[in-house]
Amino acid sequence: MAATMTGCGIASLRSMFGLFYPRLATVAAGPQQMSCLHTSTTREQKHWERNNKIVYPPQLPGEPRRPAEIHHSRRQIKYSKDKMWYLAKMIRGMSIDEAVAQLQFNDKKGAKIMREVLLEAQEMAVKNHNVEYKSNLYVAESYTGKGMYLKRIRYHGRGMFGIMDKVYCHYFVKLVEGPPPTIEQKTSLDQANEYVESLKRRTIIHSL
Amino acid sequence: MAAPVTRTLAVLQRATWSAFKASETSQGVPRHPFLLLVPVRTKKRFFVPPAVGVKGKQNVNPEAKARAAGVVFRQQYIERPINIACTAGIFDPYVPPEGDARLSSLSKEGLKQRTEQLRQSASSQLAIRKIKEFDSEFSSKDFAERAQEIFIEAHNALCTFDKDKLHSLVTERCYPEMTRGNRYKTLRWRLVESLEAPRVVHARSPDMVTKGNLYGQVTVRMHSRQTLAIYDRFGRLMLGGEDQPKDVLEYLVIERHLVNPYGRWRLHGKIVPSWAPAKDPIVKTVVIPGPKLKPGEEFDPLTYRVPQPQAVQWSK
Repeated sequence: MAATMTGCGIASLRSMFGLFYPRLATVAAGPQQMSCLHTSTTREQKHWERNNKIVYPPQLPGEPRRPAEIHHSRRQIKYSKDKMWYLAKMIRGMSIDEAVAQLQFNDKKGAKIMREVLLEAQEMAVKNHNVEYKSNLYVAESYTGKGMYLKRIRYHGRGMFGIMDKVYCHYFVKLVEGPPPTIEQKTSLDQANEYVESLKRRTIIHSL
Repeated sequence: MAAPVTRTLAVLQRATWSAFKASETSQGVPRHPFLLLVPVRTKKRFFVPPAVGVKGKQNVNPEAKARAAGVVFRQQYIERPINIACTAGIFDPYVPPEGDARLSSLSKEGLKQRTEQLRQSASSQLAIRKIKEFDSEFSSKDFAERAQEIFIEAHNALCTFDKDKLHSLVTERCYPEMTRGNRYKTLRWRLVESLEAPRVVHARSPDMVTKGNLYGQVTVRMHSRQTLAIYDRFGRLMLGGEDQPKDVLEYLVIERHLVNPYGRWRLHGKIVPSWAPAKDPIVKTVVIPGPKLKPGEEFDPLTYRVPQPQAVQWSK
């Protein structure tokens, strides 16, 4: 900060911006560092919703039926992304009915919002994306992201202050048509057998 | 403890001062110092004196000054012209006779239908005469073929989603009906052959809003064989099939804004008669919402009849 305190107004303005808006793209210093310059502006940040607009060519008769994928999100939820993450992790891989039921009886604030998002996505799937059975969906991807925070001042004693963040988060979910994929549960006996097999498979080089 | 306090405060003060200087130099107009967000806590002031240089800025009314100087502003009309190039519907729609295209021309009823030609309808003749006033090249004999060409080109443009071409071949009323919901779908349409020659069956020339603003609407009867296949976003078949040609009897309404010298004959809509056969169902199953039950009532699936729409002629 001290280095920018000469007469250069723009640099210090940028540093002032850097204090309050650390997420804005900063121009890299020098031509060899242009690789870290990202060209997306604030208008192009709704990437998740754009996934709903890709159109696949018609399938040939021999191909297996492509499962429908529905991307949905909600932006600027007044909740912490870390607290929301626990719920997002919980519903990963569940069928949509199970996920909605679990969220309905969860006590967290984010659970209510997440349930609304899932129901909206289910309705969108049936109406717009040609999904036949609304229960035939499962949660393939579900994660949270940081939203745009508001900064406020938190007053401490002795004239000290801290910058308080009013946290917001985004929630993204991808529903895929079909039954939820079953994860094979490996028993300890299976793992032991595998270990024994791997020992048997060893080859000793330069042996007689 | 004091050192970090002074350092942070000093940094902030320097930042705000240089930011204030920067804003002044970059825009050339001095900003008011008390409008900048200074995140340093001070005693709450109940009276904030106005900054120097703000004197007299809010009292000046540019409108009063202009009037005093004698400059007269013309009254500004906030208007926007709207060009209506097509009518909102089909005026006096043609009622297709029952059993059209199902009776062969050799039977007595078929012959009667064939003799019911355009000449019998007086208002159609009047309309055609009015259309010929504006469009000298109009003739009911070759107009039908032109209508079929317009129809084929419009549907081909719809398959490729060529918006400009589609707007030139189809009126503004018909465009949303053709394209709604189709943006993320793949359409494949083909006219295999025309079973009967297209024929002009009806004509009207209504006027909208003012008396001289004439539009011409001509109904053309078309019997042809077509294939249609609609694929959804993921390439799965939703409706129809590319190898299943179907015989289709259609009544197309073609419209033109006669008074407009740049008007073109464009597809305006289709008339679906009340006796039209039901279309094929779509591939997927759809939930039909059941009846609203009062508390205590039970739903009886054996006696409940799904409500069917009325068999009325409608235009689309």
